[in-house]
Amino acid sequence: MKILTLAFNNIRRTPMRALLTAASVLIAAATLSVVLALDRGYARAVKRELVDKTGVHLYITKENCPIEAASVVAQGGLSPLYVEQSLVAVSESTEGIAAVLPFQLFAETTSDGTRTDIFMGVTDAIRRVRPDWVIEKGGWFENEDSVILGAQIAQIELAKVGDRLYSEKLDKEFKVTGILRKSYSQDDGMIFLPLATAQRLVKREGRLSAIAVKLTDVSRMQEVTTRLRGRISQDYSVIGAKELSEGVLGFFAATRMIMFVMVGVAFGVSVFGIVNTMLMVVMERRREIAYLKCVGARRADVLRLITMETLLICVVGGLGGILAGMFITPLAGSMLRGTLVGYVPAGSIAAPSAGVALFSLLVAVGTGVLCALYPAWKAASIVPMEVLRNE
Amino acid sequence: MNSLISLENVSKFYKRGIEEVHALDGVTLDIAEGDLIAICGPSGSGKTTLLNIAGCMDHASKGVVRIRGEEVERGGERRLAEIRQSMIGFVFQQFFLIPTLTVEENVELPLLFSHHKANPSRTADLLERVGLSHRRHHLPGQLSGGEMQRVAVARSLINEPKVILADEPTGNLDSRNSAAVVELFETLNRAGIAIVLVTHNPDLAARCRKVVHLEDGKVVG
Ligand SMILES: Nc1ncnc2c1ncn2[C@@H]1O[C@H](COP(=O)(O)OP(=O)(O)OP(=O)(O)O)[C@@H](O)[C@H]1O
Ligand SMILES: [Mg+2]
Repeated sequence: MKILTLAFNNIRRTPMRALLTAASVLIAAATLSVVLALDRGYARAVKRELVDKTGVHLYITKENCPIEAASVVAQGGLSPLYVEQSLVAVSESTEGIAAVLPFQLFAETTSDGTRTDIFMGVTDAIRRVRPDWVIEKGGWFENEDSVILGAQIAQIELAKVGDRLYSEKLDKEFKVTGILRKSYSQDDGMIFLPLATAQRLVKREGRLSAIAVKLTDVSRMQEVTTRLRGRISQDYSVIGAKELSEGVLGFFAATRMIMFVMVGVAFGVSVFGIVNTMLMVVMERRREIAYLKCVGARRADVLRLITMETLLICVVGGLGGILAGMFITPLAGSMLRGTLVGYVPAGSIAAPSAGVALFSLLVAVGTGVLCALYPAWKAASIVPMEVLRNE
Repeated sequence: MNSLISLENVSKFYKRGIEEVHALDGVTLDIAEGDLIAICGPSGSGKTTLLNIAGCMDHASKGVVRIRGEEVERGGERRLAEIRQSMIGFVFQQFFLIPTLTVEENVELPLLFSHHKANPSRTADLLERVGLSHRRHHLPGQLSGGEMQRVAVARSLINEPKVILADEPTGNLDSRNSAAVVELFETLNRAGIAIVLVTHNPDLAARCRKVVHLEDGKVVG
């Protein structure tokens, strides 16, 4: 026989109480694993889309706050600040720069209000700067009214190459000349049009949202950034794509905070539940613990027994929690997508992983050990003769 | 004969408010191998206190307790537990069986704490000796009082003690069950185990070779 048997038998005596306590651990562990998965998933999706996939190394913007710049570059926000088109030539002639993409972004909510389309005016430099930007069907702009659609928007609009699209808000008809290959990035939901057209539509001729820069050698980023800064006016900022993604994550900080507070509350509630249950257990079983001591149990044995019982409950709750977390994470991911105020990556923002599951289980078990301390100590301190004398 | 437990001038005081209770008052007693001792006396005379101190379950306030010549009073809780496990078996009036464990598991319970390996044939042998082989998979709640006490006796034997200390082992039993338990003790005693019984029952005391009368914490004959 093992202490585990004894612990297990004890739990089976009040299964409902054990289950309820385990349920509170389950909720806490599930919350933790979901929040962790979303938190990591979002950060990873943002980084992947803004840094790894795009091939853009630097942005030249008028904003020097990365969060503001991120809202312009990633969201299509029409900022009052802009970059003069003359900077394109300056950048192109800077040593260490492989390609330069000037672009003008703007967003337009469809007339029925259900969707906000992001338009991006580009030049054919996009093909050199963004290797992942590939036209799958059709080809390059034919004239100033041409558009190239992201894969997802083409699917939603049921658009084919050659179709005409009418935008009520812009009062303009476009002709689809190309459809992009699905890239699982923000491109999938974008509408690309010639830079000059975009500038005309937002009445910003000769002005740009920002300039995207691709370097010949990423390891020389620092050097090229400094050189570029020296060649342009002090009013402009040169921001790395990585800082930009950090800027985007800055938007997320408040949401993130709320999520972690939720986790804290869930664990707080379950800590009270566990401690309360275990204290009750110890009170109810004072006599039995005294018996155990009479037949040779020492303090350490009683400590082990009560800790083991707590752990059994927490492990069951924790395992249930990470299992529940796996099911809830994707749902929570799409819910979060709907409520995000910042940048919404096209890829999955829920990244459940073995690491997250293991970590959540460990936290649940660790909480159990902590909660067991006081009740176990109380149990171990029982003096058998005192308990048995007073029966 | 070899002394197993010896108490020399042992006293135990309890504070009750400002008053001091002398539960034991200068008791000297020797328990030797093979002894069969009854401890009698009115309620509150200190019988349980004496047994607990002899069994290293409690500390004396004054005096010396020796286990095989080794003075235990200064030993820590750990050492006391060791002595209890290796030398002494306890039987209590209320049996102290764990309700969630089967008869067999209850008998093996002390091994869990002395870290000895359970030996199924030994457990079976003990249950055979107390006449409960057929009950080994039952829970305590399914047994009669006499059967429960016999399980407790089997449990007290699992660590092969030299002495069994029994506090009113028949206090909760009817006369027929009492007789069975007493016979069991006599058999064990014949096999060389020292037995110390606390009892109110004069017939039972009369069957013991040595009787210690306590009154107000003192030995009176
Ligand atoms: N922990 C304690 N605190 C205070 N007084 C105690 C304590 N334990 C025992 N006593 C007192 O010591 C005296 C002896 O108690 P003890 O339990 O040894 O008597 P007993 O002979 O076993 O009685 P009974 O036959 O009723 O079991 C009693 O007066 C009792 O009230
Ligand atoms: Mg008593």
